[in-house]
Amino acid sequence: MAKKWPKDSFTIGAGAGFAGDRIEPAVQMAQSGEVDAIALECLAERTLVNAIRLREANPDAGYDPRLKRRFRPLLPHVARGCRVITNLGAANPGAAARATSRLARELGLSKLRIAAVTGDDVRDRVDEVEWTQSIEEGQWIGAHVYLGLEPMIAALDEGADVVITGRVADSSLVAAAPVQALALEGDAVAAALTVGHLLECSGQITGGNLTEPGISDLSPEELAGIGYPIADIAPDGAATIRLLDGQSGRLNVAGCTLQLLYEVHDPRAYITPDAVLDFTGVSFEETGPNQVRLSGTRGLARPDRLKVIGFLARRGLIADIEIAYAGTGALARARLAADILRLRLPRELGISDFVIDLVGVDSVLGAGSLPLRCEPPELRVHLSARCEDAEMAQAVEDEIYALTISGPAGGGSVRSERRGRVESITGFLPRDRVSARIEWAHEP
Amino acid sequence: MRIGDIASGRAGDKGDVLDLTLVAYNADDYQVLERLVTAEQAAKALHRVVPGEVVRYELPALRALKFVAPTALPGGVHASLRAGLHWQKAAIWLLLDFEIEDPQR
Repeated sequence: MAKKWPKDSFTIGAGAGFAGDRIEPAVQMAQSGEVDAIALECLAERTLVNAIRLREANPDAGYDPRLKRRFRPLLPHVARGCRVITNLGAANPGAAARATSRLARELGLSKLRIAAVTGDDVRDRVDEVEWTQSIEEGQWIGAHVYLGLEPMIAALDEGADVVITGRVADSSLVAAAPVQALALEGDAVAAALTVGHLLECSGQITGGNLTEPGISDLSPEELAGIGYPIADIAPDGAATIRLLDGQSGRLNVAGCTLQLLYEVHDPRAYITPDAVLDFTGVSFEETGPNQVRLSGTRGLARPDRLKVIGFLARRGLIADIEIAYAGTGALARARLAADILRLRLPRELGISDFVIDLVGVDSVLGAGSLPLRCEPPELRVHLSARCEDAEMAQAVEDEIYALTISGPAGGGSVRSERRGRVESITGFLPRDRVSARIEWAHEP
Repeated sequence: MRIGDIASGRAGDKGDVLDLTLVAYNADDYQVLERLVTAEQAAKALHRVVPGEVVRYELPALRALKFVAPTALPGGVHASLRAGLHWQKAAIWLLLDFEIEDPQR
């Protein structure tokens, strides 16, 4: 059983919101001495697919390759009492914990207790999963269930300084340390999970991805050094989200509202493994500069089934290629190039599943793009095609290159990429078909 | 006027599902938003680009509207034929740039 928390609130920070997120915000939090634990959310759907493939090639790989870069500056602060909870373990939390333990020894911090949470990998149960769509064609690359608070709390109860997971719900990842330390219950857990949901995208609640007039007017200097959010949580679930003193950013009611509803479907029932959250009674109040108080979260009973994300590899690949035109008449030449491709791809390659558009005109929002008001000084013709195999992708790429010689004048600056056709499929498993476990990289 | 003249917004995705949030700048703007940006209007804005049903949720206490399009992103964002990855981040501009007319103004 955990010791009683000695303070009247718990301060949790969100030091990263995706795998490639900045390193220094978490270090600043740790250095401040104000933060009791830091959550590093570093696992998106795509990151997990890459990790699964790394593990297939090497049983000791499959965790985030940035693990050392993130932990090296943090572990000395962990030794002084700032715990870290992170999903950097990706497809191999056990190996990630062992790698972190080796790093700790290297830094002279061999006393750190590092736990891995495993059991999210349910690849062996794909046939038991109730998928939300019929699976006709394709090959399973992997399937992972979203674990909740329990195994992370168990690891912290047993004295973990660092908890490394694979797939867990992001809100639970952030909520785990305060829920454990304060032994929260009921709606206070719901509040901590809501804080978790608000913090999980790091800079997106402190002024990032927020460019509307009247809400955010941060300078390049301020955005370049934007602080990531921390939250003070009280035993009754009262929570204040804030920045560290002196950090730049914009933490206000509008930004909190956008993040509260971000990637939420029914706001009356946001489903996490630990509770179904009702956001309709939530209110925010600005209680100081870059400081917002959250209240009114309600939690309903946790769901009987846990969400599963499955990755299905479809046959073939996507070839994504661009060629640029610049100078007088660039638009007309680009349109001519597009017309040539529309003729040649079906006729010469027998391809019909493709998209052609103009980067700088309509490659992002397609038919929903704003009208073109003047001729751009340069633009790129973009072509993406679904191809049967690498040979076909090569043929499609060659069609673009051929335009440099046999197409409109001055085509060049060609770039291309290929993507596997991996689809993410959602499903559900009964809770009793999932068992999370804790592995210690270093015996407590 | 543009929806973006009276509201801020953000787009997200989970699997096939596209979700869009609008937050009105003030209480009066929320009234206009709730009255004019119906699920049908949002669908009209979105259907230029993505397919399927659009569901609306109202959050008056937060001055926010939530739009969910469950089949807008077939196969998820990685299965898309658009240039690069994660075009859906920009999808909020389908709503923000959508013109609405308020007969009461």
